[in-house]
Amino acid sequence: MSGRALAVEVEGLTVSFGDFKAVDDISFSVRPGEIFGFLGANGAGKTTTIRVLCGVLVPARGRVLVAGHDFSDGGWRIKHQVGYMSQRFTLYNDLSVAENLAFTASLRKMSAEKTAARMTELFALIEFDRPLTTRVSDLPGGLKQELSLAAALLHEPSVVFLDEPTAGVSPASRRRFWDLIRRVSQKGVTVFVTTHYMDEAEECDRIALMRAGKIIALDSPAGLKTSAFPEKLIEIEAPAENVVEWRRALAASGAVEGIQPHGMRFHAVLKDPERFSAASKGARWREIRPSLEDVFVRLVEGDDR
Amino acid sequence: MKGFVLTRAWSIARKEVRHVRRDPFTLTMALGLPVVMIVFFGYAIDFNVKNVRIAVVDQDRTPSSRALQNVFSSSDYFQTVPADGRDGIDLLDNENTKAALYIPPGFQTDLTRKGAASVQVVLDGADNQTTGVIASYLGGLQRAANDRLAVAVPVPVRLDTRFLFNSELNSRWFIVPGLSVVVIGILSILLTALTVAREWENGSMELLLSTPVRPLEIVVGKLFPYSVLGLFSLAFVYVAARLVFGVPFRGSHLLFAGTGLVFLTTVLAQGLLISVITRQQLLAMQLANISGMMPNLLLSGFIFPIESMPAFFQTLTMGLAPRWFMYIVRGVFLKGAGLFEMGVPIIALCAINVAIVALAVKKFKTDLEP
Repeated sequence: MSGRALAVEVEGLTVSFGDFKAVDDISFSVRPGEIFGFLGANGAGKTTTIRVLCGVLVPARGRVLVAGHDFSDGGWRIKHQVGYMSQRFTLYNDLSVAENLAFTASLRKMSAEKTAARMTELFALIEFDRPLTTRVSDLPGGLKQELSLAAALLHEPSVVFLDEPTAGVSPASRRRFWDLIRRVSQKGVTVFVTTHYMDEAEECDRIALMRAGKIIALDSPAGLKTSAFPEKLIEIEAPAENVVEWRRALAASGAVEGIQPHGMRFHAVLKDPERFSAASKGARWREIRPSLEDVFVRLVEGDDR
Repeated sequence: MKGFVLTRAWSIARKEVRHVRRDPFTLTMALGLPVVMIVFFGYAIDFNVKNVRIAVVDQDRTPSSRALQNVFSSSDYFQTVPADGRDGIDLLDNENTKAALYIPPGFQTDLTRKGAASVQVVLDGADNQTTGVIASYLGGLQRAANDRLAVAVPVPVRLDTRFLFNSELNSRWFIVPGLSVVVIGILSILLTALTVAREWENGSMELLLSTPVRPLEIVVGKLFPYSVLGLFSLAFVYVAARLVFGVPFRGSHLLFAGTGLVFLTTVLAQGLLISVITRQQLLAMQLANISGMMPNLLLSGFIFPIESMPAFFQTLTMGLAPRWFMYIVRGVFLKGAGLFEMGVPIIALCAINVAIVALAVKKFKTDLEP
């Protein structure tokens, strides 16, 4: 990574709408070629951050460098360097596939030859096999998302921002789309992606966890798990009867911390193994690796209790 | 503005053309509706009053009184209704009668002996629009009566009025060109009022704004195709005015088309401005209706002459494009006015155009807020 400048550098970024701070003093950086994930609930400030980084929202405060450009010219140079795929579908439904891409290309002043070459390349990448004269409105949801990605990549941006790219598409399409993201990343494009899905977050090189406008954790998925759970995480099989009393007694014993139901079982952090065997009344348990969901619950929702 | 790229504006324009070509509703509204409205309202709105029912109370019953009645009934404007002993005033109240003619006893005697006689015409003042027109006919009828009844009355001052440009005072000639301005003005605003708001609502604005496209490029790119569409619609309306209503055209077609283009882009820019500000189609539609209807219909001089408005409104209308284009269109159609006579309106129209386009560009937000 040395020698190449950072793809994104953010320091003390704050965005307010009236009294509401949508993004509150966040700092982070993204390395070139990385798949960088933004995880957080609705309204956590993911979309607002992405919009700033795409140059479509001028920040109130903070230093922002995207692909080496800042906001000193109002964000126009940033727009040349990045691709943006909004969480809404932004192509024109009444235009054909080719017309949509040609239109996007012409707004970026790409030559006809260049556009044609890029379109061939990208259609191969997304394995698009329908006639290019198809109206976009006639495409299924998954294909529409893939086409949006192609539109965002058309001008060979060095960073591409994907705002919940898989919201509302089928699980199969979701998997296909992530294959695509990995392929794009392998070509050296920095991918900045927001998501709700934990399994998607696992795919990222690094994840930033956002909550109420702040980044509360930032690390690789493995790093996040280690730092969120320095002690052992265990899965306990609850007894068949008196589960409520059993759980209360277990929590009161101080043997475990943060008991959370997971289906028929419970996840908890093991504090004191000796006291645990007495307090759990012989319930079966095993040590598990924490999932990102455990991390998310611990970091985000743990604060609310 | 720095960084204006013509090819980008052109791309936007081509994209708009594709939208329009695939949207039969817009095409119909742009090209068909104006002609339909011109023909429809051109027939409906008629300031000429014809076949006015006038009650005749003839208390003289002589050849002279009948000759006088004849003067009324033989004009196209009146249809005499004998009162048959009823009072003329009652007829004004009850029947669909707008006027009553009283011929007093001794009308013929006075005429032959004194050389002059009086009759009375009572008009229904409740409907002062119609009554005003009727009253204006009476002067002409008086002269006709004098000629018919062969009384050589020496008139000290005789006003000989001749109407230039529209010698028959055919009100359709006056109405139809003005109506074109109103119809084109109101409908054109609607064409662009939805375009930007639609892009905000369906999300495509996010795509537009994530590219380096500038507001001026978007505004120019959107104005251009709709202006061309508007010129076609103006041409259709022109043909309808000439063929259906036989309105003469005495001026320069080039001047008409040129000023028409300026007017169209002004109105279309007004629609864009609304769209840019509201960002919602429904709201944009309502605002477009209000801001199109009032100036075009009421403040353009179409129905109510600018000269008779209070000073405040006269000044206000100077900032309204329809007022100036109305003036130009009437002048060009009927008077054959040229570039020189139309200097002030043309300059005013251009100034308003630049102001509204500039405002639309300035108000165009390139920020995406949630």
